[in-house]
Amino acid sequence: MTLAPPSAPTPGIAPADRVALLARCRAIVSERHVLESPSALTVYESDGLPGYHRRPTFAVFPGDRAEVLAVMSALAERGVPFVARGAGTGLSGGALADGTVLLGLNRLKRIIALDPVARTATVEPGVVNATLTRAAAAHGLHYAPDPSSQSACTIGGNVAENAGGPHCLKYGVTQNHVLAATIALPTGEALTLTRDDATRGYDLLGAFIGSEGCFGVVLDVTVRLTPDPEKILTLLADFTRVDDAAAAVSAIVAAGILPAAMEMMDQATIEAVESSVYAAGYPRDAAAVLLVEVDGAAVGLDEDAAVIEAHCRAHGARTVRIASDATDRARLWQGRKKAFGAMGRVSRSLAVQDAVVPRTRLAELLTAITAIGVAHGVRVLNVFHAGDGNLHPNIPYDAQNADESTRVHAAMREIMQRCIDVGGTITGEHGVGLDKLGYMDALFTAPTLEAMCDLRTVFDPTHRANPGKVIPVHRCREWRAAPNARQS
Amino acid sequence: MARRAEREAVVTRADEMVLEAVRDATAASRAVRIIGGGGWAEAHAAITPDAIALPTRATAGIRAYEPDDLTITVGAGTTLAELDAATHPHRQFCPLAPPGTDDATIGAVLATGIAGPTAATWGRPRDLTLGVTVIDGHAREIRAGGRVVKNVAGFDLTRLTVGAFGTLGVIVEASLRLRALPAVDESWLLTDADAAAFASWRRGPYAPVASAALDEGTLVRIAGNATFVAAARAALRACGTITSVDPRRWHALRASHPRALPPLAWSPLAARVKTAFDPAHTLNRGLVPR
Repeated sequence: MTLAPPSAPTPGIAPADRVALLARCRAIVSERHVLESPSALTVYESDGLPGYHRRPTFAVFPGDRAEVLAVMSALAERGVPFVARGAGTGLSGGALADGTVLLGLNRLKRIIALDPVARTATVEPGVVNATLTRAAAAHGLHYAPDPSSQSACTIGGNVAENAGGPHCLKYGVTQNHVLAATIALPTGEALTLTRDDATRGYDLLGAFIGSEGCFGVVLDVTVRLTPDPEKILTLLADFTRVDDAAAAVSAIVAAGILPAAMEMMDQATIEAVESSVYAAGYPRDAAAVLLVEVDGAAVGLDEDAAVIEAHCRAHGARTVRIASDATDRARLWQGRKKAFGAMGRVSRSLAVQDAVVPRTRLAELLTAITAIGVAHGVRVLNVFHAGDGNLHPNIPYDAQNADESTRVHAAMREIMQRCIDVGGTITGEHGVGLDKLGYMDALFTAPTLEAMCDLRTVFDPTHRANPGKVIPVHRCREWRAAPNARQS
Repeated sequence: MARRAEREAVVTRADEMVLEAVRDATAASRAVRIIGGGGWAEAHAAITPDAIALPTRATAGIRAYEPDDLTITVGAGTTLAELDAATHPHRQFCPLAPPGTDDATIGAVLATGIAGPTAATWGRPRDLTLGVTVIDGHAREIRAGGRVVKNVAGFDLTRLTVGAFGTLGVIVEASLRLRALPAVDESWLLTDADAAAFASWRRGPYAPVASAALDEGTLVRIAGNATFVAAARAALRACGTITSVDPRRWHALRASHPRALPPLAWSPLAARVKTAFDPAHTLNRGLVPR
């Protein structure tokens, strides 16, 4: 059951190519780092988004840069498509390989350099996000982008998806923290892209970040590390009306305060969290809770918190409490960070979305989403980055139930169209992957999609890197012009 | 309402005229020289002399502005001064602050992509650009990015356009991120400074919004709520002698910045990008190798 329209059928690899490639890959990375049995490949058939299953023809896990380049050259020689994968925590089906070769980069997990004076680190793509922050902690630094999967997701995957997280409201997304990257083009050719070059020419580094594995793979990446704030204050406000909570969000931003994070959860999400092991002490009868965090210099922070509290109360908050210590703060955050997990408890499958709308349209959209849910007989749980209008409407369902699945997908399609109609976008941080391919035509004009496809062709002339993802294939000039192209 | 529709129709016509000019030039194997406010004489000197002038000022205008969203969409011909005039009444601003004066157009500021003194804290032009509409060398109208503050849909054509000096496309519209004006915003000249103390101040919790080394001392800008600024100022004073400075000093500094055309970084990959979007080198021919 998928939302995506039929994409280009991924080519089967010619049996002779497969046999030869398997042998080459085993010679490069050793026998034990190539998987081909169906049972061994099961775990690689899906990513963090339940509902999609695609089986790679085999999976290969290089151990260092030389092995990555050797494997990529071997793939290029035979014109075989591949899909790069980090920890497989993505939420768009982007790391799924449909009969193609899966290139696992999670063994490249060295922190190559960490410079506390320059506040930078150079890491291999398989380094886990939270591991980098732990390594920087001794110097009073951290890596700012903090996707909810940070304890498992890799920096390479973060670069591919331009990952965000709750604290990107103040600190920015991955794009704002990457200073340079050495990449391998799909041909197996390595090159270095830097932010300095981009100040005197085309921002090829900026174009690469967020290209969802379609432009090549990361061999190493140099990121900026951020000083830990002197002080952090976390406020929890609860509201009896969702509209009031949304209005409070706008008021706080208009007051000139830029919180580190500003997250909202609706009643259905609160209920799911509070009924789970991740219970955070959110009031169960609230229509919405708002979690606001301010950080920075200790001096002046209490004043910012007081302004936030005043705006929440002015917009009808019943209670506003400030986390008393680090333990209390961690508990308040746990409910938010584990909300997806808590929802997973409710049912077997979970449709996850990632739309963004202008902040001033939040209240209107939440009302519309509720109505759409009711009309289709599905329950929508909303948990989102309210500060930047990034909604995550989620619908728990049973994928085995065909009727329910159909209703869930119809509801999601309506929700997404509504977000597009008010000037929003279909993904704020999860990426298009496979899951959101079907919405691209509604969001972008045909010439825009064609131009995106042209950019992909610059990096990957034969479209072998993550084929069939991000841009609907019928939007690419070359594909229309050459119907007998190898991948079509 | 009718008036707004009328204005949008005019604006769209200006964008169309840019598209037609590029299409006609490409068809005639001619080049175009993209002109914003006309301040980039140095860049224009590097463009092939027989290029047809393509003024973009007619695209000027605020096309969408909802202050509570802290975003704005403007025609590329809008000047920095016009952008400020629209946003300041709402106590907002776009921290572009590029070298030059406020009669520069947004199109030129983004095309050159050169960051000002607040870039490290408030973002470079490419960090502040949410989306652009450009006319590329194929005369395609490409609507890249969007109007919301967070967006990873599709490949990032916005970042590619910002800083490309018009050689990949003519910018006709841009959506920008805004900020609320800080409650307190002070500029100080630091003299007789203890270098180590100042370096440590700059790296600490009172990190300034901007600083610039001048002959007479260091220009420092601190902003935030009143309590924070008072503490930051006191800590700065411990580093040397500080004298209050008119904030217009920053404008003077920007205006005096050399406008020499930087040599563009070039590579086989960059050349392939150019070929994909402007194979005939219609746009600002001469700025990049052919």
